[in-house]
Amino acid sequence: MHAVLLIESAMKFAIALFSAAHAPSSRRALLFAQAALAGGHEIVRLFFYQDGVYNASASVVTPQDELDVPRQWRAFVTDHQLDGVVCIAAALRRGVLNEEEAKRYQRDAVSAGAPWELSGLGQLHDAVQDADRLICFGGA
Amino acid sequence: MPKSLLIISRQAPWSGPSAREALDIVLAGGAFDLPIGLLFLDDGVFQLAAKQDAKALQQKDLSANLQALPMFGVEQLFVCGDSSAARGLEGFALAEAQVLSAAEITALIDRYDQVITL
Amino acid sequence: MSTLHVLSHSPFGDDRLTSCLRVIGTDDGLLLSGDAAYALQPGTAPFAVLSARGLKLFVLAEDAQARAISVPDWAIGVDYPAFVDLSIHYDKVNSWL
Repeated sequence: MHAVLLIESAMKFAIALFSAAHAPSSRRALLFAQAALAGGHEIVRLFFYQDGVYNASASVVTPQDELDVPRQWRAFVTDHQLDGVVCIAAALRRGVLNEEEAKRYQRDAVSAGAPWELSGLGQLHDAVQDADRLICFGGA
Repeated sequence: MPKSLLIISRQAPWSGPSAREALDIVLAGGAFDLPIGLLFLDDGVFQLAAKQDAKALQQKDLSANLQALPMFGVEQLFVCGDSSAARGLEGFALAEAQVLSAAEITALIDRYDQVITL
Repeated sequence: MSTLHVLSHSPFGDDRLTSCLRVIGTDDGLLLSGDAAYALQPGTAPFAVLSARGLKLFVLAEDAQARAISVPDWAIGVDYPAFVDLSIHYDKVNSWL
């Protein structure tokens, strides 16, 4: 039984993700994002904060019989040319570094490359101001 | 008219980075002159307990950041009365925080354009 | 203004459902996702509380199905397109992270 609801005009969504790739809420965020675009809506920004930054890590190795959430996010953001932003402070603290930060802090591993952009919380606030709806996923 | 954002902080000060990361969202919003509110709910009220000693856990003391909120233009500070009473807290280290009842919290959430509960 | 509250933690041994129900408004909706679907397990305190409460209650259908929990007639099972529609129907979404 599914709810029958009115079809709305195109809305702008800001989607923030707070949990790691293996968390069920991260998969839910991905499926919600896909449904939003399929429903004709726009995603102004995808913002990864707290453990959500792990979704941008290219170092995550998913067992072959499991859903590869980081890879799916990468494909989703690339295919739809979305703005995928990772909070830089949260990322550094968790060891998710792009080339620039790895050089700056002299770390061997570069785990965050394209399409992810490391930036500040201002980008989250910007997205909240621009979007019609903010949806956060995380916790569990 | 900028959209207003309410941050509801539910975690105790050192249960992980959540309390600190909630505060960072608030401070960033204040720095951009956005209308931001902060509500301490459930274990979040422990962030306002007096005489805490972060150094005992080799942690950062959040109370300095909390005291700085009005300076960042964040004056809409609230604490849940029920959560505080249940946790035996009477006074708060943040004098500016308004104590709210459950019904007042319902109305508070309703007033804001967006909300993040972490 | 109306809010869609979203829960994703099991109600057993977690206080998010209790806190949410303290502050949820009469025009608000509640979506149970992930382990929060366990609140619809029959014969439990959360089930009794929710059935008596008369809220606009939704559950992510995949989460009820995975857990072999039937969606009672006072709740509505939703898929992702319906979840998107709900997030638009309500003025804002408050996920209890």
